Amino acid sequence: MSSTVRAENKQQPPFLITSLPYDLIVDIVARVARCYYPIISLVSKSFQSLVASPELYTRRSLLGCSEHCLYAVVFNKITNEYRLCILCRRVNSNRLVIIQSLPLMPSNGTYVAVGSKIYVVGGMYGREFTSSALSIVCRSHTVQRISDTPMCMGNHKVADIIDGKIYIINYEGVMVLDTETQIWEPEIKKPGIELGYLWTGSVVMEDKIYMRDRRNSFVYEPKESKWGLDEVLISRDWENACVIDNVVYYYDYCNRKLRVYDSKQRCWRVVKGVEELLRKTTCYALSKTVSYGGKLALFISKHYQVAGKSTTEIWCAEIALERQQRGEIWGK
Amino acid sequence: MSKSEKKIVLKSLDNEAFEVEKAVALQSQTIWVMCEDKCVGNEIPLENVTGQILAKVIDYCKKHAVVDGDGDESSEELKNWDTEFTKNMDQSTLFNMILAANYLNIKSLLNLTCQAVADKTKTIDEFHTFLNIENNFTPEEEAQICQENLWAFDD
Repeated sequence: MSSTVRAENKQQPPFLITSLPYDLIVDIVARVARCYYPIISLVSKSFQSLVASPELYTRRSLLGCSEHCLYAVVFNKITNEYRLCILCRRVNSNRLVIIQSLPLMPSNGTYVAVGSKIYVVGGMYGREFTSSALSIVCRSHTVQRISDTPMCMGNHKVADIIDGKIYIINYEGVMVLDTETQIWEPEIKKPGIELGYLWTGSVVMEDKIYMRDRRNSFVYEPKESKWGLDEVLISRDWENACVIDNVVYYYDYCNRKLRVYDSKQRCWRVVKGVEELLRKTTCYALSKTVSYGGKLALFISKHYQVAGKSTTEIWCAEIALERQQRGEIWGK
Repeated sequence: MSKSEKKIVLKSLDNEAFEVEKAVALQSQTIWVMCEDKCVGNEIPLENVTGQILAKVIDYCKKHAVVDGDGDESSEELKNWDTEFTKNMDQSTLFNMILAANYLNIKSLLNLTCQAVADKTKTIDEFHTFLNIENNFTPEEEAQICQENLWAFDD
């Protein structure tokens, strides 16, 4: 490899300046897609430190080259392992690729994305509940430990973030992690309302956290420490939902419809224009919607039999959303 | 900047002379400063740019000067022209275009050429060749980084 480099150098005219100013190299690397960075870090030692430097990411934002990266925790039935994957987008392929440098993830852990970090709290390793908490630094794909949670919350909990504070909620209490100081608040507040098992995820709109159990939908305003019943969202069995532009999206797998709740007009609708796409899916309970750079990413698992063996495929669709004047939402 | 008919001559490192309209040349901040400060007369020597590269830079400036002046081409067309402009440039030309754009201080051309390199350079070998640098990792270090970043190499 290096011999060809040298051979080419000889052919270049003698007056050529052989190196670009450092600033221009930062500029070029900042424009390269994120999924090529590990390759760039292998170019040389100085490139390795460049790729790890905060300066590069500052430049990316200045140039408008910041990217949204999609991460997913995928369970492997054969090895019984939960691993974090990244959606790797190349010209000819979009694939979820396991990040080998990261440790195994817990089952039923709660995951909260904050800037370029993902917080992983609680869950189970094997059959043991854990009170460990960690943050994954997405730029370097490394892990930082955070002090253990003040309480072990089990499986039926939700987590969301408002103003830099992560709230982890179950029927016993609310734990709060300040992401600036990375310290848990010592006090665990009791919920001001009777909560059941929270297992369908939560959403945040206008500094309020919405969650539901089997019977009711709840709303919690952390700043006011106010709890209440939510009368409108509960009219649908929403789960694994996400919020984009103050609108809640979830996939209704029984009816194969992508449903939205418009908080301004306080009504439920169905996203139009995606019927064809959703018809291809099978009626299966595992689905998840995620906000992905203003678009919606919909994950659906699909089971089928090949030569007597059952196989699971994970489908992911990226859906651009357009809001029309009458409030209708169209997906593409 | 008034739209004067005045022309100036740009002289490359290898003594090639290009007569261009002032409005075209003044897209380069460097030339603009030279014209303002140094009273260099009508001929401007550019010590860091070869004739071959300067010709391409002038092509770019001409295209962009016309558009800014007359507004007869849409930004979409200009964008397509830019794409075509860098599409078939080899690595060495692009490298020299970046240096020229940097030296002449033509921001839009610098953006365009840096983006073109970022789009074209995808493998480790391409980076080595383009930037004329050598791999200074030991095989062990290289293997370690590969191991840590398997997700990106798994093609």
